[in-house]
Amino acid sequence: MQRPQNRYRRRRIYVRRKICRFCADKAIVMDFKDANLLKHFITERGKILPRRVTGTCAKHQRRLTNAIKKARIMALIPFTSGHALKD
Amino acid sequence: MKLRHYETMFLLHPELNNEARDDAVEKFSSIITEDGGQIINIDQWPLRKLAYKVQKQTHGYYVVFDFGAKASTIHELTRNFRLDERVMKFITTKLSDEFNAEKAAGKYAESKEADEGQKAAEAQEETSSEGKEE
Repeated sequence: MQRPQNRYRRRRIYVRRKICRFCADKAIVMDFKDANLLKHFITERGKILPRRVTGTCAKHQRRLTNAIKKARIMALIPFTSGHALKD
Repeated sequence: MKLRHYETMFLLHPELNNEARDDAVEKFSSIITEDGGQIINIDQWPLRKLAYKVQKQTHGYYVVFDFGAKASTIHELTRNFRLDERVMKFITTKLSDEFNAEKAAGKYAESKEADEGQKAAEAQEETSSEGKEE
């Protein structure tokens, strides 16, 4: 009786559903001008973080991608850390 | 012709003084208004560090326009941004196909009210805490 239960647990142990930040808090407005917000969704090298890491839903990830690309064009966030100015 | 709701952000050269910046803002806002457009809000950001060098500059002044205009106005505005050497970067995004001046202006009125409300609340807290101390 105990064996199958253990196996089940072992498989499920790392599964935890992440919640989309923009769905959870409707007050957050997705805006390319808000560099501080977008910084949470890019890596140190300036790459866009995938959905599986941040937990953003598909709809908001699409909008987020567009916002990040616009912010890059306006020099609000770097394209890559190689060109970024050091503090 | 129908007005659409746009937002334009541009980056001004860091070596411009206050007057020169106001002059540039005036120039671009007049392009919009003279072509039948309607400006709701102009937001001039303080000097800000850029994420990467632009025209060998590390800092710049951002200006954000929130306005309603015809599609043809955007062409004229873009042409002028390209010609003007004070402008280092610019981007125009369409916020909506419909332009409702009152509704669009409401956003800024609310944020102003919220600011004032916060200040009032803070002031009240200060007075109340002072009262407790006494």
